[in-house]
Amino acid sequence: MTRTAAWSALALLMSAMLIVATGGSPGEAMQALVRGSVADATAVSVTLLYAAPLLLIAAGACVSASAGVFNIGQEGQVLIGALAGAAAGLRLALPGPALIAVVLLAGALAAGLWAWLSALMHRLRGVDIVVSTLLMTFVAQQVVALAVNTPWLLQESRLGRATVLPQTNKLPPGALLGSLGGYPGLQLNTGLLIAVAAAVSVAVLLTRTRWGFRVTMLGLNPTAAAHSGVRVTVVTGSALAISGALAGLAGAVLLTSPLSTNRLQPGGSLGLGWDGLLVALIARNRPLLAIPVALLFAVLRSGGSFLAATGVPYYLADIVKALLVLAFVAPRARWGRPAVA
Amino acid sequence: MSALTLRGITKRYGAVVACEAVDLDVERGEIHGLLGENGAGKSTLMRILLGLETRDAGTILRDGRPVTAGSPREAVALGIGMVHQHFSLVEPLTVWENVILGDTGRIRRSRACAEIHEMSQRYGLPVDPLAVVASLSAGERQRVELIKCLRRDPAVLILDEPTSVLTRAESAELFAVLRRVVRSEGRAVVLISHKLTEITAATDRVTVLRRGRVVFRSATAATDVAELARQMVGREVADAAAIGLIPAAPHAPEKAQGDPALRIRGLTAPGLTGIDLEVRPGEIAGLYGAEGNGQAQLGDVLCGLVTPDAGTIEVGGIPVDLRRPGALHAAGLGIVPEDRHRAAVVPAMSVAANLTMKDLGTRVWLDRRRLRRRARELAAEFGVVAASLDAPLSSLSGGNQQRVVLARELSGDPRVLVLAQPTQGLDVGAAEDLHERLRRCAHDGMAVLLISTEIEEVLGLADRVLVIASGRVAGELRAAEATPEQLGMLVGGGAG
Repeated sequence: MTRTAAWSALALLMSAMLIVATGGSPGEAMQALVRGSVADATAVSVTLLYAAPLLLIAAGACVSASAGVFNIGQEGQVLIGALAGAAAGLRLALPGPALIAVVLLAGALAAGLWAWLSALMHRLRGVDIVVSTLLMTFVAQQVVALAVNTPWLLQESRLGRATVLPQTNKLPPGALLGSLGGYPGLQLNTGLLIAVAAAVSVAVLLTRTRWGFRVTMLGLNPTAAAHSGVRVTVVTGSALAISGALAGLAGAVLLTSPLSTNRLQPGGSLGLGWDGLLVALIARNRPLLAIPVALLFAVLRSGGSFLAATGVPYYLADIVKALLVLAFVAPRARWGRPAVA
Repeated sequence: MSALTLRGITKRYGAVVACEAVDLDVERGEIHGLLGENGAGKSTLMRILLGLETRDAGTILRDGRPVTAGSPREAVALGIGMVHQHFSLVEPLTVWENVILGDTGRIRRSRACAEIHEMSQRYGLPVDPLAVVASLSAGERQRVELIKCLRRDPAVLILDEPTSVLTRAESAELFAVLRRVVRSEGRAVVLISHKLTEITAATDRVTVLRRGRVVFRSATAATDVAELARQMVGREVADAAAIGLIPAAPHAPEKAQGDPALRIRGLTAPGLTGIDLEVRPGEIAGLYGAEGNGQAQLGDVLCGLVTPDAGTIEVGGIPVDLRRPGALHAAGLGIVPEDRHRAAVVPAMSVAANLTMKDLGTRVWLDRRRLRRRARELAAEFGVVAASLDAPLSSLSGGNQQRVVLARELSGDPRVLVLAQPTQGLDVGAAEDLHERLRRCAHDGMAVLLISTEIEEVLGLADRVLVIASGRVAGELRAAEATPEQLGMLVGGGAG
């Protein structure tokens, strides 16, 4: 723990030095970060809006990693989830609450299936899951691009002479996630509630159910798991599908939350898939621990967009994030010479 | 002046004392036996010598000069060489490549081969320098290890449990070579073993370690097996097999009765060719053979990890569908596999989880209270010593981990119990305890299959001995009639 703290301090020191090197002032940058993320109700609202998809993705990553399956294709699964959500929201005429539920469900199902394809490829042809989930991300990006560039698929309708952009129509208001309570200025989006519920469910699933026990066994010792009668392919496939489904749900939440334009766009995942994976990494695959970590990453996201105003390059927020991840991962690395049997 | 002198070597791991003020003198031209149970501190002592561990106190003298090896490479420079229990050869490489591994400078194949050839002549270690190690038998690999070690010209040669993978004939050959090395070249040899017969047969002097201390030292000729056994364990041991002795009294056979509880027919898988065997309720059948003759593969099939290419397994007269996960367990076959860390336990999970992982119930939700109660009962019944049931299994001693596996496998009241090398790595007390439980299981009507490379264990426990060699059953003898010589011939005949 103290080592982690020391490494984090080192990461922050290096970040400060980088800011100075690029002509900024660390104090101002820090202020901007705070101002953009937690200083007032509006900033907090944005931070919480970012936290929801991050937490969903991280909770999913906890499931697959516990089973010893490394799904790193969340970015693509988020896109597929958003695509399916958009299709459902635009094509189905359902009353409000039912439409929201169907949009979210469609996103989860589609992305779950998408991730499960990697398990299938592994089963049939021995394709490495890390590789296939990663590469499927690029396929997903092209699928979304195709959908939003093809008029008879999901591209926005032409109105008069206006040029059409590569995006879908705006989702009907009935398909959007609303806010909870009536706090002035503060938006407490339903998406966050869903995300926290998902993280808690994953924690319960992993520790309290037979399936979770088997997942844990599989992740820690696949041979012993197989010996005790765990159907390795079934458990692997379901863990991967759940992980994908939660990423897809994140995509649908993102699509229907005030954070986005409520249209599906090619870059609509905002790179949150990668960030969510990092959240799980820092939370050491513990879904409840992912809640505060997701909040921290959300702070960096929302505060990061304020950084630019201080003259510090925007991408420094990404570098700070990367340094923090390294600081959390480094203490676990083994130092010194390797053990000799 | 001794070739190697240790004075007051002490090593502690936290509160655990691995070595306490150990003194040891190894003279030139002698084979010195280092005897002790598992966990007595033999390996720690040698690891300190080789620079794999640091010592807390004490001095090491080589030819009277104080030395400290910081790494195995430095140990070689000091003239200390070691052949490890499990071979450290690179299997896809050839013999000569393995022998020169670690050399610096230009690689000259012809010179390396000539050198190996010359050495194999001198020591009587026939081996083809161009052969690929993967294609060699255990005995041949042992020769390669020896050549590799002797080529560095060590004044002190340490062998750690060298015979665990060898047949009797190969062991005899190894000891003959060691005798030559000692007599004609004046080297010193340290032979680490927990096998009493080996120590009495091959060494000149013997030092016995118990719980990290030297408790006894003597010229080998001046002592006997009974004395050494007493010194090693610290009490009289009735169970001869547990201390690596062949029981003097013939084993009273249990009354095996009825139809076989386990019947294996024509079992063929990679490494196994048409294995046929039967075990009846109430008997202990021993499957004996040198390591690496298909026991591991048979274990994997019986663990449900490998689906055989051909053949059937019947438990209680009913054929088992081997493609279904957990089918053997469900059919009533309990198994304690050879490498428990690989297949039998999840070391990072709790003791309780490991005790109950095959019996999680049929509902979606775990009944955590029931599982906990079951774990507590099993731990008490089988004498598992653990700080807490929530402690990770890896925190337990080898004997206690083995008890956890046995407890779990017996908790389902199996018809058949299979054990592979069950006492490997256990101290004598734990081995005795295990043997006693096995006898009781058989007495209560269970069919027990004991897969072992230890002839003493097989003869001490089994009613019937089957010999496995090169992946097939090479012969079968009644234990009361079997002699080590007969078994040795069957083992050697198949192993080539």
